[in-house]
Amino acid sequence: MSRRTPRALYLFALPALALYGGFFLLPAVQGLQYATTDWDGFSPAFHHVGAANLTDVVSDDDLFRNALTNNLKFLLVVVLGQTALALLLAVLLAARSRGSTWLRAVFFLPTVLSSVSVAFIWKFVYDPNFGLANAVLGAVGLDRFQSAYLGDEDTAILWVAVAQIWFHAGQMMVIYIAGLHQIPEELYDAAKTDGAGRWQQFRHVTWPMVAPATALVVAYTTLQSFKAFDLILGLAGNPPRSSLDVLATRIYATFANSQLGYAAAESIVFMVAIAVVTFLQNRAARMVHK
Amino acid sequence: MPIDRRTLFRLAAGTGAASLLAACAGPGGDSSKTAGTGGDLSFAHWRAEDKDVFAQIIKDSGLAVRQDISPSADYQSTALQKLRGGSVGDAFTAFRGAQFLDIAKAGVWADLTGKPLVGKYEPALIAAGAQDGKQLGLPYQLVFNTPLANRDLVTETPKDWDGFLALLESLKGKGVTPIAWPGGDAANAGQLLNVMVVNNAPTDDALGKIESGEAKVTDDWFLTVLKQYQQLAPYFQKGATGTSSDAALALFAQGKAGLLATGSFQVSGVRKLGATFPIDLLAPITTTADKAKYEGVFNATFILGVNAKSAKQDAALAWLDRLSDPAVAGVYANGTSQHVTVKGVEYTNADLKALAPWLTKKTALAPRFQFTNLDVRGAVENAAVQVVGGTSPEEAAEAAQKVVDQKK
Repeated sequence: MSRRTPRALYLFALPALALYGGFFLLPAVQGLQYATTDWDGFSPAFHHVGAANLTDVVSDDDLFRNALTNNLKFLLVVVLGQTALALLLAVLLAARSRGSTWLRAVFFLPTVLSSVSVAFIWKFVYDPNFGLANAVLGAVGLDRFQSAYLGDEDTAILWVAVAQIWFHAGQMMVIYIAGLHQIPEELYDAAKTDGAGRWQQFRHVTWPMVAPATALVVAYTTLQSFKAFDLILGLAGNPPRSSLDVLATRIYATFANSQLGYAAAESIVFMVAIAVVTFLQNRAARMVHK
Repeated sequence: MPIDRRTLFRLAAGTGAASLLAACAGPGGDSSKTAGTGGDLSFAHWRAEDKDVFAQIIKDSGLAVRQDISPSADYQSTALQKLRGGSVGDAFTAFRGAQFLDIAKAGVWADLTGKPLVGKYEPALIAAGAQDGKQLGLPYQLVFNTPLANRDLVTETPKDWDGFLALLESLKGKGVTPIAWPGGDAANAGQLLNVMVVNNAPTDDALGKIESGEAKVTDDWFLTVLKQYQQLAPYFQKGATGTSSDAALALFAQGKAGLLATGSFQVSGVRKLGATFPIDLLAPITTTADKAKYEGVFNATFILGVNAKSAKQDAALAWLDRLSDPAVAGVYANGTSQHVTVKGVEYTNADLKALAPWLTKKTALAPRFQFTNLDVRGAVENAAVQVVGGTSPEEAAEAAQKVVDQKK
């Protein structure tokens, strides 16, 4: 016996489809249209330039290439650091005790702050003259490790990554804790019976069983890393220096430079970069968890 | 009359359709005149530190003016888009250079040519607000983009580069930071470039020529500028390339630095931090004394204008007229420790009086605002920051020139 879905029910999807089409698909298509023009964002006149903007972005733009490189460095450090720290915290605090609950709240706390507040906090930490980091290093006699932090051309983006990890590790920890609570206790009992130590239990039980959580954390962290816009502007100012410029801030700078057509082309390449990285990550995640 | 569900649905659909149409405005679209909401006149600017003084002027004038303030960097990035809508910034301000030109290109400046208020300004100081023979805006502030000097620590005024380096060495010997420089804040780090360039440059428009391709970052004169930055590096505070504007300001205000490499627009900020020492201006003379053309740098900025897209242009003009009154301009100047371009203003503020001799000194119009492409400006200014961070002048210049070639 089968029941056919009344056709009228499909009409209920129309409002959502209209909103999606109007506020997502249409602007996306318009973005493609802008990318083929030299429109400055305000003039009535513009010229069609074909694919010139896109080819320039890909082949003849050191600022964009620099921002992409910075973004990939930032992404790598944040994805690895944040995932590892979140998993470590989750494993240590998965127990259902009052102390663990309190500590989870402490580690989760930065997540509820605004990006601007986090930027202010870390600006204070990193200030070379009045900042906490250099003050602590000086107090314990490690002056030689004192740094200009955000002013160091080679490492500036990595210091921003540290701030980002501090900001969001607690949020990812919660996802991992939920994943850990789904693992049947029997699996650990069986592993112990087989003589597995703590590391082997983690390696052969916990790690494979939290694979879905890891996939979620990595995907979410990747998107966060690409969208780290307000934290970077808060820490580095607007526009950020080349050592702190990432794709999102580069596109914004281009837009502010009255080159809307070119900014749209940069956005398209940005979207492609996210798609490629996400695809590669999914492939890598499958291989790791095989 | 109660609104039924169907009416509500229609309203929602109507609102959605209107939003959709608004979102579809594409290339070539032009914003129509928009009546501002409420009875207030919107005055858009970026000087949060001047908010109280403006509030006092508004109160005294009896005009209904609302201040719409954005941080300076955001104002530089987004003001034009907001102004085009006409609902924000019936009266507004603009930076000299790229922003002024973009707003002119978008037709947002209402022409002030021939209006009586224009006659209240020093003609030579409002040229930055004119284009094609039309007075589009009125530069209001007269600032000196010349380093501040703590005269308790800096007692001499070197006349050449060697003398300047000797001064820095003697300050270092006294245990203070010779120059506080906000190298970590791109907008303020570039202020020092003004004074480093004016006497080294072969022509007054040399930075503009870099953007147009007639000059290069790798030219000898600019390499000299970068090499001089290299010489200054040991005299900046620790971690100079990562120092924020607030931190540099604090170092100077606390008497821990002899010079603050920004400009007179930070005098009030220094005073707000409790500094009581006498403040003067002191530019590094980057050549020998006989070759020095200028003693410092000034800028006529904070360009006041009436929004041509606004429905309240008459009220906006009345507000500008009020600001142009010498007595009112005096309230602004003395309340914010900044000189103004209005004629006949009496300066009673002690710092303004102390800096008054600079009004007649040989100063150049700030050259960094000759750049109209912000990417080009960023690349050239970043070359100086990179040199302070340890990159060789030649390498930094090459990298900057490559960006200029791609972006000009």
